[in-house]
Amino acid sequence: MTEHRVGTQEEWQSERDELLAEEKKLTHRGDELTKKRQELPWVEVEKDYEFETVDGTKSLADLFDGRSQLMIYHFMFGPPYETGCTVCSSIADNFNANAPHLNGGDVTVVLVSRAPVEKLQAYKERMGWDNLEWVSTGDEFNRELGFLNTEEELKPFLESGQIPMTVEKMAELSGTDVKGYVTEGPGMSVYTLDDGTVYRTYVTTSRGLEEVAMGYYRLLDRTPRGRHEGADEPIWLRRHDEY
Amino acid sequence: MTEHRTGTQEEWLEASRALLAAEKEHMRQGDELARRRRELPRVPVKKEYVFETEGGEKSLADLFDGRPQLLVYHFMFGVGYRVDEDNPGCTGCSFVADHFDGVRPHLNGHGVTLVAESIAPLDQLLPFKERMGWGFPWVSSGDSGFKYDFGAAFTDDQQENGAEYNFSPIERPPPQETGMSAFALEDGIVHHTYSTYARGVEQLMGTFRYLDVAPLGRNDGTGSIWWRRNDEYEMEAAR
Repeated sequence: MTEHRVGTQEEWQSERDELLAEEKKLTHRGDELTKKRQELPWVEVEKDYEFETVDGTKSLADLFDGRSQLMIYHFMFGPPYETGCTVCSSIADNFNANAPHLNGGDVTVVLVSRAPVEKLQAYKERMGWDNLEWVSTGDEFNRELGFLNTEEELKPFLESGQIPMTVEKMAELSGTDVKGYVTEGPGMSVYTLDDGTVYRTYVTTSRGLEEVAMGYYRLLDRTPRGRHEGADEPIWLRRHDEY
Repeated sequence: MTEHRTGTQEEWLEASRALLAAEKEHMRQGDELARRRRELPRVPVKKEYVFETEGGEKSLADLFDGRPQLLVYHFMFGVGYRVDEDNPGCTGCSFVADHFDGVRPHLNGHGVTLVAESIAPLDQLLPFKERMGWGFPWVSSGDSGFKYDFGAAFTDDQQENGAEYNFSPIERPPPQETGMSAFALEDGIVHHTYSTYARGVEQLMGTFRYLDVAPLGRNDGTGSIWWRRNDEYEMEAAR
């Protein structure tokens, strides 16, 4: 017999109704937070960052690829890694599946890592992420967003004797040691291109990525322009081969 | 010049910190609801449904495919839902379904089988599946009544005289609506654990969103590392 509580259809329904009311509240609170995200001040990106791509060196503005919004996933794949981080790979699986719809919603998605572009390209082919561009960057870009840690910053953690098993396992699965692994940090940064100027609008990491990296609405909720589904706006939604 | 408010890095940081606190609170409320979902009583499914699949006729228990949890997406296709001759499937459902293959290896690796179900016959579903490039199992519930019983399709009588959708009365329901149902298989008995409709379906896109509505949740509480690269689940199983 199952150990879980079994009930009648009526019992289930009564509890499901209560839960639905809470679920709706949560969805509506999420809508409010989306609005707040869109109201954040935009910060002009003044530095000229360079990204190595299979098509040569590109600027941050180039990465928009003709669209007005850019989402960058800071994929943990540092120079000492043999392969890309496992968790980041599950996130990229989602990005890759969502990309046709995001592109259709005027958002470009790009993966950024510090490993050389040839290494990224080989792993991308293995994973079949045909919908994503993956570019290589120097230290500065990740560092300024808090997604690259220095040896000095990591010292207390590395010498604590309390490295979580998860981190050790993840390091091993990426073919590097703990220090090499945690030098990189996961995160997402979002930009908009307006009148030729690039602005940064939103940054998230940690569990914030859960909310975003999984599902197109979670993603659109965090772009500067949101879902673009106002009553007076044309329906942008298409089948993925129809865009 | 942009018309949106611009600010300094410091102003942005201050606003972002306040927002982060609100986001965390929201996320924790979400965790609490995921917990409450799993506490719902489970209802044994007594009716015997037959599905037409690429592997022949199957029961609901068969659809679990050896795993203890099953998520069924109620895909609106044909039978009152035809966009035009070239597009027999619902556009919104196609959009939802585009997310399945990105998360499916991870769900399968964590004891959850994900399938889509439509009333239309299999020979109509498969060409569309091929066109869309989908790999997830798509089965036909045909005239078994499955989609109607789980609140995502409505009979002629219901369309005329009203029914319930998303647990609320609706006067003139359309032939089909969007939804997803979750089931658990234990000791050979299938239990219905959860169904969600309307905007609830929005929440389902992504591994954790799926696990939040699956009977066993995101993890078994041990904090063990179950996730792998999408081609590693098979590689590990083969070892």
